[in-house]
Amino acid sequence: MSIKTYAMAIRDVIAEEMRRDERVFIMGEDIETLGGIFGCTRDLYKEFGTERVRNTPISEAAIVGAGVGAACAGMRPIVELMYMDFTFVAMDQILNQAAKTRYVFGGKAKIPLVIRGQQGIGRGNAATHSQSVETIFMHIPGLKVVCPSTGADAAGLLRTAIRDDNPVMFFEHKALYSVKFEVPDDPEFMIPFGQADVKREGSDVTVVANLLYVSRALEAAERLAEEGISVEVIDPRTLVPLDLETIVKSVKKTGRLVVVHEAHRTAGWGAEIAAQITEEAFPYLDAPPLRLGAKACPLPFNLGLENAATPQVDDIVKAVKATLYR
Amino acid sequence: MISTERQLWIYDVMNKIRCFELKAFQLFQENKLRGSVHLYVGEEAVAATVCSLLRDEDYITSTHRGHGHCIAKGAQLDKAMAELMGKATGYCKGRSGSMHIADFTKGNLGANAIVGGGIPIAVGAALAAKLRGSDQVAVSFFGDGASNQGIFHESLNLAAVWKLPIIFVCENNGFGISVPTWQSTAVEDISVRAQGYNMPGYTVDGNDVYAIYEVMEKAIERAKAGLGPTLIECKTYRYLGHWTGDPQPYRTREEIEDWKQNRDPIKRMRKRMLEEGVTTAEKLDEIERLALEEAEKAAEFALNSPEPDPSTLMEDVFYEGV
Amino acid sequence: MAELVIMPKQGLQMTEGTITSWYVQEGEPVTEGEPLFEIETDKLTITIDANHSGTLLKILHQEGDVVPVAEPIGIIGEPGEDYSNLLSGLNASNAEDQTSSEQLKGEESKEERREADLSTEETSSRRILSTPRARLRAEELGVDLAVIVGTGPEGLITEKDVLAYAQTVKTTKEEASSRTEAIAAPNVAESLSDKETSIPLTNMRRIIAQRMHESLSTMAQANHRITVDMTQAVELRKQFMDNNIKVSYNDIIIRCVARALTEFPELNSSLTETSIVRKHYVNIGMAVAVPEGLIVPVLKDADRMSLAEIAIQTSDLALRAREGKLQEEDCTGGTFTVTNLGMYDIDSFTAIINPPEVGILAVGKISKQVVVGDEDKIEIKPLMVLSLTYDHRVVDGAPAARFLKRVKQLLEHPLLLI
Repeated sequence: MSIKTYAMAIRDVIAEEMRRDERVFIMGEDIETLGGIFGCTRDLYKEFGTERVRNTPISEAAIVGAGVGAACAGMRPIVELMYMDFTFVAMDQILNQAAKTRYVFGGKAKIPLVIRGQQGIGRGNAATHSQSVETIFMHIPGLKVVCPSTGADAAGLLRTAIRDDNPVMFFEHKALYSVKFEVPDDPEFMIPFGQADVKREGSDVTVVANLLYVSRALEAAERLAEEGISVEVIDPRTLVPLDLETIVKSVKKTGRLVVVHEAHRTAGWGAEIAAQITEEAFPYLDAPPLRLGAKACPLPFNLGLENAATPQVDDIVKAVKATLYR
Repeated sequence: MISTERQLWIYDVMNKIRCFELKAFQLFQENKLRGSVHLYVGEEAVAATVCSLLRDEDYITSTHRGHGHCIAKGAQLDKAMAELMGKATGYCKGRSGSMHIADFTKGNLGANAIVGGGIPIAVGAALAAKLRGSDQVAVSFFGDGASNQGIFHESLNLAAVWKLPIIFVCENNGFGISVPTWQSTAVEDISVRAQGYNMPGYTVDGNDVYAIYEVMEKAIERAKAGLGPTLIECKTYRYLGHWTGDPQPYRTREEIEDWKQNRDPIKRMRKRMLEEGVTTAEKLDEIERLALEEAEKAAEFALNSPEPDPSTLMEDVFYEGV
Repeated sequence: MAELVIMPKQGLQMTEGTITSWYVQEGEPVTEGEPLFEIETDKLTITIDANHSGTLLKILHQEGDVVPVAEPIGIIGEPGEDYSNLLSGLNASNAEDQTSSEQLKGEESKEERREADLSTEETSSRRILSTPRARLRAEELGVDLAVIVGTGPEGLITEKDVLAYAQTVKTTKEEASSRTEAIAAPNVAESLSDKETSIPLTNMRRIIAQRMHESLSTMAQANHRITVDMTQAVELRKQFMDNNIKVSYNDIIIRCVARALTEFPELNSSLTETSIVRKHYVNIGMAVAVPEGLIVPVLKDADRMSLAEIAIQTSDLALRAREGKLQEEDCTGGTFTVTNLGMYDIDSFTAIINPPEVGILAVGKISKQVVVGDEDKIEIKPLMVLSLTYDHRVVDGAPAARFLKRVKQLLEHPLLLI
């Protein structure tokens, strides 16, 4: 075990995997000498050279497309997008090319591509640099969607992503990069996709959250514990594939569900979970499943406004109590 | 200079493409093809000539008008036709239809329904080759319309700055569906754009096998020497509409006839080969006959092939194997 | 002419009784008007006198049997008499009785349900709103959703409502299933060892246990206390005694409580899932300790009685209670209860509300205490503590306090009762 930041956990896995398999390479903006604007590729070019650690022009569509092509041609590229908001610039290559190539070509191709980058609030980056976009990639079939909330999860899941022969969208969170976590040192440490993590056990209400909202949900759980309410916090970790079973098992126990995410509430992935749980665990529900998410407005720059637009710990507490009719 | 063998190969491929396309057209008119097909009739020289210089391990990506490239890159006519009909025996198990035909074993990374969608993918394949240190090259086929897409510009720049072993082949057939190039494109010769990306650009007669061959040879040499990409514009013409069913109000019958009669690539090659004594008329007739036969057999194969089993619907979304 | 001895109906709602004792053995003589057998219902234990003289020719149901009302339990006649015709009719009437008792049972359980509902006729067409989990629990625990008070929005029955109610259902079920085994030897202690003695539960004990628990688990009971200067009450009682009208302090308290209840109808009510039902009558239960446990006979329309009338009623009820002669109706329909442990020197205590009432007043002893009077003078007064337990679901602290204060006021200034 080592104590390291979320960003370093990611960096170390990239380095280990590049050492292990010469087909792995990484390209993105500012990843070479600068080491990425969040430090996720710090000094990697020194060890692996500038062929395998490539700065790219600001051409998200071309970079992602090149990633698809290189993957088709037998390499294992990692494409770093500086902000996952920029997936919008490369949408055709992600949703039409990467997601569909294997299927549409009758299963002949393998696209071992990882598209990774950070998202979310926390740096005053305003509307086009603070979004949470993972829902969109859950919706279009053909992409795996991963959202690690801790350094250990990031390490274990990234390794799995790099070794996966499918296109993986890997969503990191900007506010987590500098947070220190305990991370296993084992260079084979992998967390399988489709395995949710119960971050806190409880018996009264199930709260499902991802990325930054895992820590907020845990904070809410602490507060609620003081009032005698026992909250179980589950981090799905991967939205595709989704471990619904763990959530169902929890809701059968508690009878109550609150999903909280940073993505917009309307048609956010919380709605998908709520609907699936209602289908799978209806007789066990004591209250309708509730969802919390960002309001239906672009995320404003002003911190007070940003807080007003996104769910706060108070909101989680209130929602939990609402499911208890308190 | 093109070897006799290679010339015959090119002639053969052009005929196969022509017969296949016309057969597909016939099947479409008989309502035996679903959706629409975008036929390559008249443009055969480009695909055949370019691909004659490529090996199986070299890569291509192509366009919605991709049957020609597919066949030129080694596809079997029957499996291709079966794919057009969405049958289980098609190259893509009926999943892709006309516009996504691919055969990864022959380096064909797929036709692409998104205009320009395949360009960066070919760049990526070239990148892979470079990283591996192999002498593979990649060719990106695209049309005049695609040269106005942002992705075209990003891809050329990226390939140039990284000196990737790729040849960008623009098939300028004068139209983007109904819009003539003079109406959509700021330059007359698309090859001019190569200057913006610091790579050589050529404009050639896309219906002249020999002209294409000459520049293509150079471009491949350059690529394998690690000097980077080349942009080759082949000016050509499609005889049929943009898609089967296109009423073509945007051009005249006279124009089409002119190209068909006076500039047809197959006719021209036949003429030249006979003039230069490369081969006999009988040989060429034989090639033409066999091509027609093969196209007929392909259609029969496709018509008799089974539909895909609905239970296979969810297969291959992800690769689940080891 | 042989006659049937039947299980007598003792009160409107009785559907069955348990024979606890035969005072006459088979073959022995029976005298009309003399105690013949004893039965127990869920409200009380009663000695039944013989309706005929003769010989107890046959006992059809033994001690411990649970028998539906009106069913034959014995035959009185002349020795050697042929009573077979009575018996053959028996089977037919058994069947009849069964169906009618089933009907009664059905009616009774409906009535019970209604009672439990604490609702009126409207409830049969009411939609029951419940969460799926509540329904799941209800099914698991064998509970009927119709009897549960839902605490969710719009009366939604939630899981915790079902769980809360399940306890009472459980004890009721246990009680019902064990009624047949009930009283093999009800008053006989089995000694298991020198260190312990096991006493089988009587019906009354079971009932008390269930009702006490039900009371505490379904209601939100809170408690107020107030100290009352009983000087004027003492004087009042003296006046009555001097005029040969025997009046107890408890009677005075009942009188004041009855008046206060007319002014504070919220304490004289009961709760349904959608409403609070205020009674327009005041029936005060008075808790009476009996050897077997506890009985609460009710003074009907106590608000319309004078103190003298109250005194007469209470002493009659207490006597009949101790003699085991209370009827079913004597113990039902209460709207508020007063309970007094002052005679045991208890200063004050917290009583448990008698469902479906929403309040109970616990009375402690009167004792002389030193108090600080006007102008900080030290005085000695007879003080008594009143302790009001109320259902906070229905009554809030302030109104409960006002009610209690009013009772105190009436006790301290009884002329206000005029």
